[in-house]
Amino acid sequence: MKSSPWHDVRLVFLKEMKSALRFRAAWAAMLMFALTTLACVSLAVQGGALSPRLLAALYWTVLFFASMAGIDRVFEAEDSSGTLLALRVYGSADAVLFGKLLYTFSLLLALAIPLTLAFLLLMDVTVAEPLLLLLLVLLGCFGLAAAGTLVAALGLGASVRGSLAPILLMPLMLPIFLPAIFVTAGAFGGEAASLSFLLGMGLYDAVLTVGASVLFPYLWYAD
Amino acid sequence: MGKITFQDVGQSFQGRSIFSHRNDVVEGGCITAVCGANGSGKSTFLRLAAHLLLPTEGHVSVREAGEELRREALFRRLSLVTPEMRLYPRLSARENLDFFLGLRGVRLTDEDYEALLARVGLRGSELRDTWAGAYSTGMCQRLKLACLFASGAAFWLLDEPGANLDAEGSAMVLREARRAAERGCVVLLATNDPREEAAADEVISMA
Repeated sequence: MKSSPWHDVRLVFLKEMKSALRFRAAWAAMLMFALTTLACVSLAVQGGALSPRLLAALYWTVLFFASMAGIDRVFEAEDSSGTLLALRVYGSADAVLFGKLLYTFSLLLALAIPLTLAFLLLMDVTVAEPLLLLLLVLLGCFGLAAAGTLVAALGLGASVRGSLAPILLMPLMLPIFLPAIFVTAGAFGGEAASLSFLLGMGLYDAVLTVGASVLFPYLWYAD
Repeated sequence: MGKITFQDVGQSFQGRSIFSHRNDVVEGGCITAVCGANGSGKSTFLRLAAHLLLPTEGHVSVREAGEELRREALFRRLSLVTPEMRLYPRLSARENLDFFLGLRGVRLTDEDYEALLARVGLRGSELRDTWAGAYSTGMCQRLKLACLFASGAAFWLLDEPGANLDAEGSAMVLREARRAAERGCVVLLATNDPREEAAADEVISMA
């Protein structure tokens, strides 16, 4: 019997969601990581007038640190709990990759939305272009999710997984963060950045996704 | 019918040779047992057959109706039960089965689910609200077997299938393996249990 690709992706996504919702410690760790970073930044710059570009850089730094608590662990968790073998036998490469990518994207969005609101409130930021900011958060979170899932997949079977992630994540994430910071500064009322940055982010997200889908079957199947 | 062929296969880990120059054929329609002492490479043999591991030397081919199966096409046709294979600890029995079988395109009705659990000696009503993490090793083994039975796989790879099972459970495994072999499935089991070895039609010795 053969099921549709979307059905399989949905199964993996729902399984991830269900398992994560039943293990609240993982969510709490990410949230605490985010709150700690945000509290440090807001207390350090209390009362100071910051330029939109500096605010934008701080915003993406906070989001980056918060996401680092979980985005590259989707396969490590399977490996450490011993479920990777069963998933390998029953799940196709595409279903696993896209199911986990979708889950990571949802997790980041669930983290980014309250974090953004808290950032705007604590840092007293007025958003000149809320729709632009929303689009940036969506594109940025998707890029982070794609890069994180790809790096997590690359770590499959690697004994130096812990050190591999930060090394690989930096070059993959810079093309997401730099344009995101420039355009976010515009959304925070600074000098409007060229919308080609936004297009570039979208293209980069697409390249990451296609790259991951091409590479992942080679990691998933031994032959 | 399926067929797994080992051609001049050797396997070593970190320079330690587990076995070399193996030429074995595992055919469908019968039960084949892989026997040998601890460390002789029985589980490695199964992992090579499943293409979960690439041999250091030689080639392992899995064929069905004359066509070599690889990657997704192979995994859709095989199922595996090994001691190191784990179920999702925060999902119930039903959720685990729905997930793994759903990935094979198998959808269980409530009646199918109850019948499947009864087939492996479990009671669905007792497991309804319990996560798999709370099951005993024997119950987990039965659930993994349930997954295998319902998966529609043509290649059954069983590593110590009777481990952690009581006498009735071990008998159930051999009964189901025989039925699968009669349907033409490839049934390959790695074992140290003399009863499982005796139930096999063919024996591959790893000594």
